[in-house]
Parts: sequence; structure tokens; C-alpha cells
Amino acid sequence: MLADNIPPQLQWKPDPITLDAKVAEAKKKLLESIKRSVYVYRVDCGGCNGCEIEIFATITAVFDAERFGIKVVPSPRHADMLLYTGAMTRSMREPAIRAYHAAPDPKIVMSYGACGCTGGIFHDNYCVWGGTDPILPVDVYVPGCPPTPPATIFGFACALGILDQKLHASHHVAPADDQTFVAFPAIPYKVRTSFEREARRMSGYYFGKKIVDEFMLTISKDKEDVFGAIDRLIGNETDARKRAVFMDLRALLMSKVVKG
Amino acid sequence: MFKLFKEIRETGDATVEYPFAPYEFPDGFRGKPEHNEKLCIACEACAIACPANAITMELSEDQSLITWNINYGRCIFCGRCQEVCPMFAIELTKEFELTVLNKADLGESCAYEVARCSCCGKPYAVKKEVDYVRNLLSKMGGPAATDIKKLDRCLDCRRLEDAEAFQLQARHRGEA
Repeated sequence: MLADNIPPQLQWKPDPITLDAKVAEAKKKLLESIKRSVYVYRVDCGGCNGCEIEIFATITAVFDAERFGIKVVPSPRHADMLLYTGAMTRSMREPAIRAYHAAPDPKIVMSYGACGCTGGIFHDNYCVWGGTDPILPVDVYVPGCPPTPPATIFGFACALGILDQKLHASHHVAPADDQTFVAFPAIPYKVRTSFEREARRMSGYYFGKKIVDEFMLTISKDKEDVFGAIDRLIGNETDARKRAVFMDLRALLMSKVVKG
Repeated sequence: MFKLFKEIRETGDATVEYPFAPYEFPDGFRGKPEHNEKLCIACEACAIACPANAITMELSEDQSLITWNINYGRCIFCGRCQEVCPMFAIELTKEFELTVLNKADLGESCAYEVARCSCCGKPYAVKKEVDYVRNLLSKMGGPAATDIKKLDRCLDCRRLEDAEAFQLQARHRGEA
């Protein structure tokens, strides 16, 4: 990374705002016995607006965060929770701090989206600070690009201490005697990869893999009458697009057989 | 008035029951990337493909272990890792509840052993990857499998060996 090669005295780093003990205690108390609605103020610190769209989807009728009393307010003076989206551009640092100081204590700071959590895809850009936490004390991180409305509701629930987080840091060391295995050992490697490539070319990596797996399973199951099995597979398939891929793979197999 | 109430009842509730009932996304939803440590051969394809550098590979100080890292906070859920994985070891699941209170919880990692060259003892590739290639070549058979014994040597040693073989060949040709 470029930043690692530049001496630290030449790099200005913003000092994150720290909570003093009194406010931290008040906040803890608030979270322990929160019995009222939570008002959210949203600060866009250089996001692409994807996160905003998902926040508004969260407060619409389908996901309806307002049934839990979570309401998006237009002023930080009304807010209990500040929601920072975007990778925190250089010019948005000051407004972000102003919004933070404008909100009454105790307040919860939520870092929203991949950009808000770590800077996301812009993490090494020259004009961003890389997320909310280099600037402000963040309480809860909601990753996602953008986080879906259910993920947002889960994030609110985690921030208010109603639900527990599900993700935990993990570090494993792979066992030394771990065996690798080759997929579909009955089918020659080059034939298998040519099938996989063809299916991918026809219908993309996601559906291509599903289709080619089904095809190769059929081949490896019925070794006596391979083409009969494939024809049955094609005959039973109702989806015309899938059938086209199966027929294409059948032609490919046929070409391999003839060449011998 | 009653007609309206009747209509409302018939329409039903549009709001999802999410926090009280699990929320099911449709197939193909790109949620949390799940890494299958058993299938993974640590070939680094996902780390190269990852546009946000959420997946990184790191060699330890003594070069005995290579660590596969993912930072879910940086992940943009594009599915490129799933697309490039030759072993289908990483898959984007429907899991979406990734919120954490502590930033360190966003990380996940797995360390793999690095193989050493049988000739010079230098670390040269991930052991699992070499094992996989050996396994594959022995299954393929034919001309591809003739060089199978060269697999446990590093690139430099293999080059040296080839050069020596070539030299020997040239010398024989000169004698004839």
C-alpha cells in the first residue's frame, strides 16, 4: 500500500473524538433501559447514495422500521442515533464532526455500509479518511454494499442491544494432513473444464455452475448409456434456456467422443 | 366503508415480520461470502480478483504459513471471488446479519502451510496447492504426468535442472 511507504510524519492523521467517562456511562445506562423511540439522523459523508436508498427502503411500509419507533429525523438536534454512510471524504470531515457535536449526549454512532465501516472499495483513495471510525467513536458497524433493509433492521436491533451480533472473529490453521480432492473424478479433467467453461459462457458463473453440476452428475451416474441419460435430462427440462445449455453441452460431449 | 375494510383484510399485511421471523432472500442473493477451508487450496485467485481488497493473503515472518484473510467490513458482495475460485471453495450465502459492535469481529482468517523445495529448502508454494496439482496430474496420466516428480522443487531449482539437462544433451550431441 502506498501509505505504508510514506514516512508517518508526512501523513496527517485525524484525531478521533473520544468519549469522556461521564458520557460513556450515560450511554451505557441509556442502552440498558431504553424505553422510548430512537430517532435517527443520517449523515452522508461521500457515499454513492446506495446506502440512502436502502435506509429509505427500511422506513417504507414493507420493512417499516417505524413500528419499532425508529424514525429518520431531519436535524441532528433531535437525534439519538447518528448514522454515517460513505467513506468520509476530506471535505465531509468537518460537517460530520459538526453533526456529531450538534446531537445531544448520549448518542449512538452507527457506521453504515462497507464505505462507512472501513472505506470499502474506496479505502485507499487519496481523498477519503477510510470510514467513520478514524474521525468519530463508532458503536456499531453495519457492513454491506449496501446493507439490505433486513440487515439495517438487524443493525438497529444490535445497536440498541435487543439482538446479539452473529459474526465473530475467527482464525484457523488448516490441518497439515488436509486432503484435496478433484471434483467429478470419473470425468477426465480436460473434458470437465471444457464443460464448465461452456456452461459459464452460456449462462454466467452462478447458473452455469448449477447447470454443469446437474449435467455432470447425470453423466457420472449413468455410465452405460450416457447419451440416453442426457436426452432424458433434456426431455424432462421445462426451462427452455436451461435446455439450450444442456443441448450445447451434449454437442460438446459428442464432439469429444468423435475425436476420440 | 365496510368495503374498504374488506379490501384491507383481503390484501393482508404488506410488512415483513423480519426481526420476529427469519427473512428469506431469493436464490442467488449475494450475502456473506462463506469460505470452505477444506476445499480451499490457497491459490490466491480470490485475493487477486477482489476489487475492494477485502480478501488478502499474507505470508508469515518465517514464511512457513500463508494466511487467507477476509474483512467483511470491506467486502462489497460482488461475487468475484466465487466466480474465480477454481475449487468452488468460496460461496456467497444468504446470510446477511453481519452487524458487529467491535470492528475486529469483522475479520476471518485461515492459515495454510507453505511447501519447501526438496532441493534448496526455500518456501515456494502452498502445500495444499502442490498436493492438488500432484493429485490432478496423476489422475490425468499421459504426457502431463511425466514431470510429476518435479513438483516438489522450486522454480529456480527446476530451471537449473533443465539447464543442466540441456547442457548434458548438448555435450552428448557434440561428442557424436
